[in-house]
Amino acid sequence: MDILELFNYKFFNHAVLTILLTAITTGIIGTYIVSRRIVFISGGITHASFGGIGVAYFLGFNPILGAAMFSVLSAVGIEFFSSSKTVREDAVIGILWSLGMAIGIIFMALTPGYTPNLMSFLFGNILTVSSTDILINLGLASVVVVFFTLFYRTVQFIAFDKDYALTHNVPVKLFNCILLCLVALTIVMSIRVAGIILIISLLTLPPTTANLFFKQFSSIAIVSVIIGVIGGFTGLLGAYYFDIPSGASIIFTLVIIFGVSKIYKYITHKK
Amino acid sequence: MSNKVLDINNVTTGYENKVILENVNLTVSDNDYIGIIGPNGGGKTTLLKLILGIIKPFSGSVNLFNNGDHKRSLVGYLPQENKFDKQFPISVRDVVLSGLMSDIGIFSRYKKTDKNKADALLQRVGMEGFAKSSIGELSGGQQQKVFLCRAIISQPHLLILDEPNTYVDNKFEGELYDIIKELNKEMAILLVSHDVGTISKHVKSIACVNRKLHYHPSNHITEKQLAEYQCPLQIITHGDIPHTVLKHH
Ligand SMILES: Nc1ncnc2c1ncn2[C@@H]1O[C@H](COP(=O)(O)OP(=O)(O)OP(=O)(O)O)[C@@H](O)[C@H]1O
Ligand SMILES: [Mg+2]
Repeated sequence: MDILELFNYKFFNHAVLTILLTAITTGIIGTYIVSRRIVFISGGITHASFGGIGVAYFLGFNPILGAAMFSVLSAVGIEFFSSSKTVREDAVIGILWSLGMAIGIIFMALTPGYTPNLMSFLFGNILTVSSTDILINLGLASVVVVFFTLFYRTVQFIAFDKDYALTHNVPVKLFNCILLCLVALTIVMSIRVAGIILIISLLTLPPTTANLFFKQFSSIAIVSVIIGVIGGFTGLLGAYYFDIPSGASIIFTLVIIFGVSKIYKYITHKK
Repeated sequence: MSNKVLDINNVTTGYENKVILENVNLTVSDNDYIGIIGPNGGGKTTLLKLILGIIKPFSGSVNLFNNGDHKRSLVGYLPQENKFDKQFPISVRDVVLSGLMSDIGIFSRYKKTDKNKADALLQRVGMEGFAKSSIGELSGGQQQKVFLCRAIISQPHLLILDEPNTYVDNKFEGELYDIIKELNKEMAILLVSHDVGTISKHVKSIACVNRKLHYHPSNHITEKQLAEYQCPLQIITHGDIPHTVLKHH
């Protein structure tokens, strides 16, 4: 079938829009995650959100809403513990990580009769996105773009040197909290695309690739968005033509882009 | 006539009810150049944090510029330890510009003149070729120069330097003191150091900090006086003979 004919299908249009919007959010938020080296925190938030999905199924409300609640709560919890310094931050993250998975699977088992499609939450299934999901994605992408445009310098300076920002009366805690909540929401809205297990790569591969060629936060973020779009579309088409799961196909494409970039960089550097 | 830039009035402070500084008084005027000395853990950095408003007094008061206005950009600060993220993707020029953070506010946008100012400062410390480099690519001493630029870009009335000579080589140490001397024409300087011998060549007066603060209104200080101030420090003079000789008793 011709690529253009695919656009006659609603599910395909939804998938394309979702990839575009997710690439924008994950490109910017991913650059933040990689630059601040909070990949492990993001992994913890991701897995904690699975608990919310299980609880939502059990109580019968929208699983994405459940995931959003769990991920934002764990983000705030991590931010709180990391500043209180009474408990080791990495230990707290580790606990949240597996606790979330445990709660999720327990509540799914307890849910009578209906067994939700576990695989699509773990590995993503872009063909399940609804119009509501797209609207929420659009809202989140707008918030992220506006936030980073308005507060670009402040975000950059806090991330670079928190203590110095404090001497300038910058509301460091507030900013870190908002940013971690944006990270949490980005993660939740990427579950449909890549699933809980693959999200971390969706967030980290584009900026890591961009960082091979660009050294400024803003340029890394913009190039990450572009890589996300290219990887997303290529991955989607690959999934369609080879009849393989879309999430894994997108991640695989992003890995190939990274590999090729790394080799290109290596060769051009040697000359 | 000199203007007061800072007035610390009978302040006791510390961390979580642990008293580190007790009944401290210090007045700084706009042409002062005060060396702050004292043993490790004596409370020098704590004193600076108090002035910067990072910690609050348990009792007493800290007044900046006579009106209690804690507008941060009027105080430039070069921290003792730079706990910044070395791998963070940020250019040297942007680091210098971050010294304008509280002038510009959280919606910060920089004007062309700000960028020119940053470049001019980088030139002044011999770092003009590095404006676009990532901060992580620089050596410790080069980073220190960049942080000095960050501290002075807002044209502060008071410049606070916490052991600025820790990472820098001898050549830059000389340059550094020359730059500070120049800056002292425009602003008051507080310079923290362990090295009494070296700083007394440069400063105009000395404050000994060891739980209490003893102000010594000249740059001549003897070990006997240090002992009287309960400030157990050794005076070591390096290499060439300082022009203000430290007299031993
Ligand atoms: N954040 C903190 N919380 C609790 N206690 C602290 C904190 N920072 C410093 N202290 C304590 O306050 C005391 C004074 O520390 P400060 O850093 O002011 O010393 P200093 O004179 O700057 O020493 P140095 O010459 O080693 O830099 C020390 O006993 C230290 O343990
Ligand atoms: Mg100190």
